[in-house]
Amino acid sequence: MVSDPGSTASFYGRFSDGKTAAATDAEVRLGAKGVEIKLPTSALPLLWPYDTLSAAEPLTEYAIDALLTSTASPGASLFATEGTFARRLAVKAPHLSAHSQRWRHARPWIGVAALIGAVSIAISLLDLSPSHAIATLLPDGAREKLGSHVIASMTGERRVCDDAKGLAALNTLVGKLSKASGSKTQFKVSVVDWDLLNAFAVPGEHIITTRKLIAKAASAEEVAGVLAHEMGHGLDLHPETGLVRAIGLSAGVELMLGGSGGTLANLGVALAALSYSREAERDADTHALRILKNASIPAKGFAGFFRRLQQQEGGFGDSSTGKAFDAISSHPNTSERIAKIEAQGNYPAKPALSPAEWTSLKGICGAPLPGRDDDGDGQDDAPAAKSPTKPPATPQKGDRPKTGRDI
Amino acid sequence: MLDEHRPAPEATSSRSALQLSWLQPPGLLALSFVNFALRFVTLGIYSFWGKTEVRRRIWSAVRIDGEPLQYTGTGKELFLGFLVIFGLVLLPISLASFAIAIYFGPESAANSVFALFLYPLIFILIGIGTYRAQRYRLTRTNWRGIRGGLVGSDLNYAWTYFWSALLVPMTLGWITPWRTTELQKIITRDMRFGDRPFTFTAKPGPLYSSFAVLWFASLFIIIAAFSVIGVNINFEMFQPDAIEQDATDPTEAIKMIAIVYAVLTVAFFCYYLLSAWYRSKAINHFATHTHFEGATFRATVTGLGLVRVAIGNFLINLAGWTVTLMVFLAVLAPVFFLTQGTAVLPSATAGEGVKFAAGVLGALVLVAASGLFAPITQARNARYLIQNLSIDGTVPLGDIAQGEAHKVSRGEGLAQAFDIDGF
Repeated sequence: MVSDPGSTASFYGRFSDGKTAAATDAEVRLGAKGVEIKLPTSALPLLWPYDTLSAAEPLTEYAIDALLTSTASPGASLFATEGTFARRLAVKAPHLSAHSQRWRHARPWIGVAALIGAVSIAISLLDLSPSHAIATLLPDGAREKLGSHVIASMTGERRVCDDAKGLAALNTLVGKLSKASGSKTQFKVSVVDWDLLNAFAVPGEHIITTRKLIAKAASAEEVAGVLAHEMGHGLDLHPETGLVRAIGLSAGVELMLGGSGGTLANLGVALAALSYSREAERDADTHALRILKNASIPAKGFAGFFRRLQQQEGGFGDSSTGKAFDAISSHPNTSERIAKIEAQGNYPAKPALSPAEWTSLKGICGAPLPGRDDDGDGQDDAPAAKSPTKPPATPQKGDRPKTGRDI
Repeated sequence: MLDEHRPAPEATSSRSALQLSWLQPPGLLALSFVNFALRFVTLGIYSFWGKTEVRRRIWSAVRIDGEPLQYTGTGKELFLGFLVIFGLVLLPISLASFAIAIYFGPESAANSVFALFLYPLIFILIGIGTYRAQRYRLTRTNWRGIRGGLVGSDLNYAWTYFWSALLVPMTLGWITPWRTTELQKIITRDMRFGDRPFTFTAKPGPLYSSFAVLWFASLFIIIAAFSVIGVNINFEMFQPDAIEQDATDPTEAIKMIAIVYAVLTVAFFCYYLLSAWYRSKAINHFATHTHFEGATFRATVTGLGLVRVAIGNFLINLAGWTVTLMVFLAVLAPVFFLTQGTAVLPSATAGEGVKFAAGVLGALVLVAASGLFAPITQARNARYLIQNLSIDGTVPLGDIAQGEAHKVSRGEGLAQAFDIDGF
């Protein structure tokens, strides 16, 4: 308990023994080995070695006082009322400084974060997909159930088109493609009476397409191309993988946020989920070309559909909001896709459906309603309807579905 | 060593008056950014340690007789507590609800039955969580080395919390003063400083006149707001020239929406002001009926004061969101421009990798920035309360010993961790 002769400055403090809530005045010095506390009741000072100290608040350069405890005197506390004392103490006992405490607590987690980053990069470089691995483990029954719920939540109140002749034509086409795809399970395709131009692959070998898409297609081969592309997604379990990934990501974010997940974080998840399915789209295109070839259906229709839509809508398949968002959209560039289809070359092919079947398929949702221009020719699809009070094409709720894959 | 030099205990008859004060902690803005940066590099996990440092600073700012409160909780405890809650409560509940929705369908009877049990369970868990969080904070609060504590049963509190909540809609809200008084009574009577209990003598009766004012004024506000909206819309619609106008004139629609929003905003603000006034009455009422060792608390909180703090905090949070958005854009903008031209990057796949990385970084910014300026807003709340709270009378400090019944032993594993305010 020898004082450091160089630091004889003494400070005022209040000392509590931790046995009662009473306190007593104390004279405090920063000694060579520790904080020396001189109490009025004893001749010898108490010594609290520096490495036994804890501070109530981490010490900073703007500290105004310091409340100390020490393992040398369990339960006792010392409150030194001067900023100078706190700043000098931070030099003698650097482990009490805010910097060192923050670093000590953050360092292991920075390591963990780096490890997670490295593992993620490795996963993406090695083309491993944990979500896909989990998706392949799902039993068929579960995928089927999942699919039917997704369909129910996506289509909502909308009608599933069920004209008998149209359904027969659709089944012929789907049967051909499904067989050509090599899938164990037959694909199930539903056309929904929906004023949205799209098709989605849904878990459990389900595909949903819309009245507007059938109406816009110029030939059965175009529809075949779109369906083959969606079957490609289904074969690779993309919809299942997407769901698993979304659940995993939200659980991860929930963990990261300490359970206080908010809107901002959900936005983050959506952003992270937006930008990784171009590879999946390319794979689906590759499958589509294979399926069309196996089914002896010309791939030209697939290309023609994209080209026409590109002219009409300035880049269908890139993003419904146009070119500016290409950077964060999930589809390959339309021209790139057309080029790939055209590079396929020729093979012996037959029409996908007979002209009569194609007409039936077009009518699967019944006769077109007055005021609709689904085929985009600028004419009312029901020319007989010339009524001046034509009903407006009311937008339906939820035009962008949450789950499933776009074309 | 301590025992030899222990100061003589003060005489048991000696009583001291205690002065409560707030000493504004410096550096909270800097701390906000430091915590943000550390959350960012640790994927958000540092938040538990960041929160702990904020609490240590806020507790230290509260002075009793010039001496600070000490917060002794740790980030590790908060983290473990969260993991336990996540693993034992949140994850099983979400997995179960997911599995039931998948297996039986979202509109099935099984799902409805599950929801029927889930909602009461969540209510009870909130009650338990509230009580345990309070207990955790009190046992981690020292003054002059003497710990606080909460010695009662969390289930008792949670049960009262649950059944009285069921009665709120049934009584059109009129049970609220009774309910808040009862819940406050349970907490205050279970509270300890050292080995001494707090006592609570408040009755709900005196709150009812203020509550009646709030209730009828709210009713009036609702009726007035809808009348104003109704009159304006009808007035606009039935003006002679309005009939001539195209019904789908967009400026008319915008005008009506603006009127509706303006009226609702004014109505909400009036209601908020009134409810703050009622809350201030309740706080003051509870304080004057909270006693400790013969001393009594006194609060001078006002409705306007609470509203001022809330508005200030709202503006500070607004600044926080603005900063977050700016950082977010600063992270994403270069990537966005970089990937615009395919010529810049050698292959489409590389561009995709960069975009994915940007997406992850952007998400991380948003995660790390949530509650950016919480240290400042939390300190403002605490400051307002402490500056408007005082202790009348004297307390025999020398007689108050460390409480043995609620001694905190460290490292009890799961049981310990479950006691932590992870909710």
